[in-house]
Formats: sequence, C-alpha cells, structure tokens
Amino acid sequence: MNSMERITAMLNHQEVDRIPVYPILSGVTRKLVNATYEEWATNADVCADALYKAVKQFNLDGVVTLIDLSVECDAWGQKLIFHENDAPHPDYSQCIIQDIEDYAKIKKVDYKQSKRMMMHIDVCRQLVEKANGEFPVTAFVFGPLGTLSMLRNQEDMYMDLYDDPDAVKEAVGEVTKTLKDYVNALIDTGIQGIMFDTLFASGTIMSQDMWIEMESEAIKVLADVCHERGVLVMIHNCGEKPYFDAQIEATKPCAFSFLHPPAECTDFADCKEKYGNKLGLIGCVPPPMVVTSTDEAWVEECKRQIDIFAKDGTGYMLATGCEYPSGSDFKKAELMVEIAKTYTPYKK
Amino acid sequence: MSTTLVEMSEFLQKGRVKNVKELIQKALDEGIAPKTILEEGLLSGMSVVGEKFKKNEVFVPEVLIAARAMNAGTTMLKPYLVQEGVESKGTVVIGTVKGDLHDIGKNIVKMMMEGKGLNVIDLGVDVSAEQYVTAAKENDADIIACSTLLTTTMGEIKNVVDLVKAEGIRAKVMIGGAPVTQDFCDSVNADSYTPDAATAADVALSFCL
Ligand code: B12
Repeated sequence: MNSMERITAMLNHQEVDRIPVYPILSGVTRKLVNATYEEWATNADVCADALYKAVKQFNLDGVVTLIDLSVECDAWGQKLIFHENDAPHPDYSQCIIQDIEDYAKIKKVDYKQSKRMMMHIDVCRQLVEKANGEFPVTAFVFGPLGTLSMLRNQEDMYMDLYDDPDAVKEAVGEVTKTLKDYVNALIDTGIQGIMFDTLFASGTIMSQDMWIEMESEAIKVLADVCHERGVLVMIHNCGEKPYFDAQIEATKPCAFSFLHPPAECTDFADCKEKYGNKLGLIGCVPPPMVVTSTDEAWVEECKRQIDIFAKDGTGYMLATGCEYPSGSDFKKAELMVEIAKTYTPYKK
Repeated sequence: MSTTLVEMSEFLQKGRVKNVKELIQKALDEGIAPKTILEEGLLSGMSVVGEKFKKNEVFVPEVLIAARAMNAGTTMLKPYLVQEGVESKGTVVIGTVKGDLHDIGKNIVKMMMEGKGLNVIDLGVDVSAEQYVTAAKENDADIIACSTLLTTTMGEIKNVVDLVKAEGIRAKVMIGGAPVTQDFCDSVNADSYTPDAATAADVALSFCL
C-alpha cells in the first residue's frame, strides 16, 4: 500500500498493511532546510519544501499544514511577532480588539489581502503537486473562535463571553464568512482534507454548553463547505476531555486528532470502544515526552497506543497528540515511524 | 454567618462585580469587620470556585470572572484593611518562564493565591531567572512560583532553581503548568509541584505559616 491507500483504508475502517503514522512534524521541519522559524512560517517555497522533505525522509503517511495559530488572524491586520527559533504569535500589546466595543469592528475581509493565508494556500498547492497522489495533504485551519481570540487575547475574550456574548457571536459570524472563502480557496488547491482546530471545545477551557453556543454553528458552516466539495473533515483538539459528541454533531468528521480521552469516555480503551467504528482516531502520544522521556519509554508508549487503538487492526493512525516540539531533534519521530512499521500485534 | 456575606460569596462565584461591591458597602454599614468581609465574603467564595474548577464543574471563563469580582472587592476593601492593620499572610513572586507566553494557568494560580490572602507580585510572561530572583530579593518573597506550558521552556525552571540556590535566597520555588510533573520537580530540586491552582494556593499558604 502507498500512504494514500493506507490512509483511505484506515478512514474506511478497512484492513491496512500497517498502522499509518504521523508525528505532527511542523515547525521542527525548518531544520531540514536550514531555515529560521520566520522564514519557514512566511515563505511558501521553504515551508512546502521542509514539510515534503519530512514526509520523504521519515516515511510519514501524510502531511498536515499546521504552520502556527496566527495564520488566520493576519487577515484582520493583527500585528505579529516573528522569531528566529519560536513560533510567531500576536503582539498582545497591540490587539485589534482592545475593548469589548471593538468586536463590532470585525467584519468579513478579503482573504486575498492576507499574506499569511495566501502563503498557506500556496504551501498546500505546492504540496499537492509534490505528493502527486501518493500521500494525502490536509490543510490545518484554526476555528473561528480561536481566530477571534488571537485578535483579542484569550483571557479577555473568555470574560467577554459573559459580559457580551452577542457581540462575540456577531464577530465569530464575520470571521466565519472570511474563513469560508479561505477554506474554499484551500480546497481549490486539490487537498484531500481540512483539519479544523477547535481549541476551546474541551474541559481544559470552557463548558460544553458554552462551546456549543459560541462556536458549533460557525464550525458547522466550514465543515459543510468541505462536505459539499467532497473534502475530508478532521478535527484537532489537544485539550483535556475534548467534547467529541458535540463536535461530531456539528462537523461530522471522518477523523479526530487528540491528546486526552474524550469527555464522554473513562479512558482511551473506552474511546476506542465508543468511537472506534465511527471515526478515524489519530493520536495520542504526548508531545512533552519527546523532551522528557527516554527512548525506551517513548517506544513503550507508542506500542501501548497501538495495543489500545489498533486492536481491530484499523481506524487508527499513530501520532503525537499535538505538534512535535519544534526545538527537538527527530530521533523520537524516527522511532515512532519504526514502531508503526514493525509492531503489528493486531495481525495475529 | 451574616446573610450579607453569604450573598456576597454567592455573587462573587457568579462573577457579579456590581452586586459584590454593593454588598461590601452594606456589610461595612452593618458594622462587619473588613477582615471578616474579606475572609468570609470574598475569599471563601473564591475557594468554592477553586474547588469546583478542580473538579471540572466550572471552567476557565467562570474562574476569570469570579476572580475579577474578587479583585474589585479587595480593591474596595483595601483602605479599610490597611486601617485595621490586616497584614498579608506572605509574599509570592509569580511569572511564566522565559520563552513562554501562556499565562492563563499562571493567572488562575495567582488569583487563587490572592484568594488565600497572600500578596502576589505578577511578573507577567517571558520571565528570566534573573528577573524572578531580583523581584524575590526586592520583596523579601516567601515563594517564587514558575509556570510553563511548553516543553521547550521547561529547562528554564532549572535555571531559576539553580539561581535561587546560588544566591542563597530563602524563597521556596513552586512550579506547575500542563507538562510539569512530580518527577520533573524532583529532578530539578524545586520545592513543590502541584497539578492545579487550588492545591497550589494551599501549599503556598503552608509555606508561609
Ligand atoms: C490556550 C492555549 C494557547 C493560547 C494561550 C493563551 C494564553 N494567554 O495563555 C494560544 C492560542 C495563544 C497558544 C499559543 C501557543 N501554544 Co498553546 N495551548 C493552549 C492550550 C489549549 C490550553 C492552555 C490553557 O490555557 N489551559 C488552561 C489553564 C487554566 O491550565 P494550565 O495552564 O495547565 O494551568 C493549570 C495547571 O497547570 C496549574 N498551573 C499552571 N501554572 C502553574 C504554576 C504553578 C507554580 C503551579 C503550582 C501550578 C500551575 O494550575 C492551573 C490551573 O489549575 C494548551 C493545551 C492544553 N491542553 O493545555 C496548548 C499548549 C500549551 N500550547 C502548545 C503550543 C505548542 C503552543 C504554540 C507554540 C503553538 C504554535 N505553534 O503557535 C503557541 C505558543 C507561543 C509561545 N511562545 O508561548 C502546546 C505545548 C506543547 C508543549 N508541551 O511543548 C500545548 C500543550 C498544546 C499541545 N498539546 O501540544 N496556546
């Protein structure tokens, strides 16, 4: 099987020759092309080259274009700070939304004016071309509420949700209109899927009711675009107790990339039991282990995850539960791929 | 307990600044001692929120609005407390370590510590070991509290502990944040790790007694 066949089979819950694997190598791939973080995050040629190199060099089964969480907010002119060795982020001293009244200023904008969105679209176009149908390319898109929070700062936005929920919701609606055009443009590049980051839909941040009220409709609009155009919908959420049911209801995803057991489950085994035949499950090796654990502990954790999630031999992709630490070397990524290729108890 | 204080605690838990302030005025008019208002009206309410947060019954937005109400209340009470000569129970210097900008967990820890009557000096985010130690010296702090959410910046915690030891200052070092563990705490010789803010505040208080 090539990667495209393997992932297609995995998502359709059909037999695979081995467990597909993706250690969410993002910013760390800049090292493969000797670029700074800033170059990697702003130059489409550099970024696409680095992500493609990672797929080839480490035999990954696909690519997710997680650049950073400040790509979308650029469309509203949010000032960003770029670093040589760290992910870019908003200049929180100069947020576009300074005051609760400023939500009213957020209107639909033309995504084509955004350098960062256009760069990401270009990255997808280049990757689709390079992949040539051998492995799937999935674009990563920060959800509407997450995007809005980058224009305000998270802490104030959380309080605004109590002080003036309607104002926030209006702005979420405008952001969504913009993201809808952006999603369409990403789909035009020929990508196979979009992975939406619903950062706040977990027990780490807000109640399920609040998330449903504030973002579920908006994310549904974006997911529907993908469904209509025949592109796969995936969700990424690395919080504790992610709200699987609410997100499934809103977006009807084919796969979920996650780090912690869902709110609806007692543990990972229970998650496989409840969602294993509905969803492709992607995860859930903790990225901090790349830095803190021994190679042996890492290998054990990868095997443990395969034992739990691949016991029926499919519907699972071995992955980190979130981005691979951008300052690390590739040793643990190589080990993870090695395990996916060689550890096959599900075949018995 | 006075019904005014019970009501105050309940409004605080709902984050209702205006009601909390009105009830503080009412309690003062009723002749309740400022220290009692602080402890039984404000801090007790914040403790309830902290416990509920720990049990996942309330979430980050609820904690933030409750803390905002507590801050509004303590600001209003401050002149009376000073008059009465109520002292803080200890001093904490807190911040998110160098290279890391995540601050919501740190802010919640700060609020819970303030909720226990501690004086907390917030150095913000991206704080270097030197900045923690300088602030601890200047304020004769009992505790240095370091938050980090990034694995890439966990090493900074060791720099803080090492500098505290090298400078021989008395402050205990407390550490936390999602990737931090007890093993990590032991490996860098920090004084305490707690997984959540409510427990962090209890431990901080115990270090000050
Ligand atoms: C919200 C969030 C953000 C927000 C931050 C907003 C803000 N102002 O803080 C935004 C969107 C800006 C963001 C950006 C990034 N993020 Co972020 N983010 C998160 C997320 C989803 C939740 C963090 C949070 O607020 N939790 C809620 C608070 C209340 O919990 P907490 O911080 O853990 O604090 C509690 C305890 O830990 C403890 N505690 C905390 N501090 C202390 C201190 C002491 C002394 C004690 C005793 C206890 C204690 O008490 C608190 C309350 O109980 C986490 C995922 C997760 N599940 O944790 C990722 C996460 C932290 N982010 C991550 C990453 C990679 C990033 C980015 C680099 C992404 C990118 N490539 O652009 C950037 C970082 C930029 C930078 N240089 O800092 C990774 C870090 C991976 C790692 N371990 O290295 C995480 C873990 C996601 C993941 N699973 O990979 N992020």
